[in-house]
Formats: sequence, C-alpha cells, structure tokens
Amino acid sequence: MKELKEQLINRIKAHFPDITVENNFNYNRFDVSINKESIHSILFYLKDVMGFKHLSDTNCVDWLEEGEFEIVFIVWSPAEKIKIFVRTRIDRNNPVLETLDMIWPQLHTYEREFREMFGIQFTGLEAPDEFILEDWQGPPPYRRDFDTAAFAAETFFERPGREDAEDVREAITKLTGEEIPEFAKKYSR
Amino acid sequence: MINDKNSQKIVDIIQNWARQHSIWVLAYGTGCGAIELPPTMTSRYDAERLGVRGAATPRQADVLLITGYLTTKTLKRVIRVYEQMQDPKYVVGFGSCTINGGMYYDSYNTIKVLDKYLPVDVYINGCMPRPEAVLSGFAKLQERIAEGRAEGAKKYKENLEWYRANQKKIIPNWVMPDYNW
Repeated sequence: MKELKEQLINRIKAHFPDITVENNFNYNRFDVSINKESIHSILFYLKDVMGFKHLSDTNCVDWLEEGEFEIVFIVWSPAEKIKIFVRTRIDRNNPVLETLDMIWPQLHTYEREFREMFGIQFTGLEAPDEFILEDWQGPPPYRRDFDTAAFAAETFFERPGREDAEDVREAITKLTGEEIPEFAKKYSR
Repeated sequence: MINDKNSQKIVDIIQNWARQHSIWVLAYGTGCGAIELPPTMTSRYDAERLGVRGAATPRQADVLLITGYLTTKTLKRVIRVYEQMQDPKYVVGFGSCTINGGMYYDSYNTIKVLDKYLPVDVYINGCMPRPEAVLSGFAKLQERIAEGRAEGAKKYKENLEWYRANQKKIIPNWVMPDYNW
C-alpha cells in the first residue's frame, strides 16, 4: 500500500511539479493540493491516464479567516483501491472557477449547488440560476459569515416561549388529576 | 323550514356527527413526520377504526397533516394544496417543528409557527409523536368537530388578507391561482 502510494505520487509529481502532497494517512488515501489554474489538467490526468475514474464526492470549505474557499474533489481508483483528495483554493472575494463538468458530468450538479450555497461563479456553466432554494434573496447561506439564527429571527415568526419556566408537569396534573409516579418525581423541576 | 334556527342546529349536529367519523387524510407528507403514519394506519394501531384513512387527492381529503418541518419551498405547495381542498377541511400540525420550529428553530429556510400561515385546528406535539399521540390528536380533532369548534377553514376565509400578507412575506414571487371555494 505505502509503496503503491509513493509510486502514484511520483507519477503525479512528474507531471505536476508544483503540487503539495500530504501522505500521512495509514489507510488508502493521500491528499494533493494544487493551484486553481492546474485543477482541470490534474483531474483529466487522474481520470484518463491513471485510472481514477470515479468521482466520489466534491465539497467546498469556507476558510473565512484566510479569505479563501477550498474545493475538494475525492477521486477513487477501482483498480488500485486508492482515493485521492484533490484540493484547490480560490479567492473568497472573487470566487470564480472555470466549469469542470466536461470531466465528470455529475459535477454539473455540484457546481450549481456551490453557486447557490457559496456564491462561487463557474464560468461556462450552463444552468438556470435557481437550484434548490426558491425565491432566495439573502446572501449565500452556506458562507460562514451568514448568520442563520439572525436571518431566521427576522424572516420568520417566532412563538414566544414560556418566560416563567413553570413546571409544566405539575400544572398538567392539577388540571387532569393525574398522579405523578414516585420515580418520575426526581426528574421534575 | 330549514332556515329556522333550531332546525339548523339539528342539521349541524347530524352533519358534525357524520364528519367526525369520516376523516380522510391527504396522503401528503412534508418533512420527517410522515414516517409515523404507516404504523398509525396499519394493523398495530389501525387508525381506520376511527374513520381515519388516506385520500388520494386534495379534493377528496378532509384533513391536511403537516408532518414536521416546512421549508418555504414546501409551504408554497402546502398552501396550494390547502386551497384546493373542499369544505369541510381541517389542518393538523404534527410535531414540534410546526409549533415553534423544533430543532430547525434557526434554519434559514424553514418556517417556525405554522398557524401564522394556515389555520391549525389541532397540534400534536412531540419529536416525533408516536402513533398513540397521533391517534390522540385525531380523537381530539373528532371531539372538536363534534362540538362544532373545528372552524379553521372559516377562519381562513374570513381573515384571508392577513394570512395572504404573511404568506407573501416569505414567498415573494406569488404565482398561485386564486381559488373561489
């Protein structure tokens, strides 16, 4: 396993010298970070030449403090039984990436989701603006600086809570004449 | 003779008695609560002995169950379904999410208080309510129908503007047909 991973890393490094590799996992995984200009070529290379045919998942991470979005592609090789996390970072203030759906068609859906939930623009992506959220007017909701609780509080009605913090169980027993069993008494406030 | 007040009372009592024993629930589940309905309907709890059974379309149904959280997207469909239903019609709020938001209280896309958007006749609390709780909710609804107090639909018609204003607040692109019941 370790030798196989080293071998694969060397093969990738021969083509893409500027990658940074993280290979301290004890199982069949290693990570590759690359700049956003080379992301197409490395994914094409992994898929067509090295046999990483299967795209398992794609995720976006919001690095608010560093001002960047990180997009992670998890690719899997059925022959080698190895998975690679391919990471790339884009600027958070100007999140633009070229569309990748010519490599795996299912990336189309992920890209639409990133566009709606994180506000990342994919140039060349041919899809309607709306994906899951209907009539959405706020900022992209998966960004970390989007305050969901505040947004929900001002958008939706709230039922005022019970301010007196009364023991509801006792009130119910008074109303219905039901007896609280001995074991349950220690749980009531 | 039928316009006579006392005769109308008798007619109402008979009508309510009949309605009470045939509650047809629209087979439409929102959120996760719909998973409690198969055990409620099948042999263990057998809701049909109370006259509760499924109906295929909104126009044949009497009860709209809001089973769990309502996203703003689903709310649009629910309003449309509710307005298509024929009188008599009742709404049962099912689970904590319809009462105060439940575990989705801070979600950016789910409503928290159902009765601001639709008239709710009975709430069943719990997360999730067990089939016993669901049956007790239906029993409560029957009680209210028999007493003639389940008048959500009437309330909705009378205060339509208020409900519409609330609905339009979170559904800005209103492209729904108007139903004249």
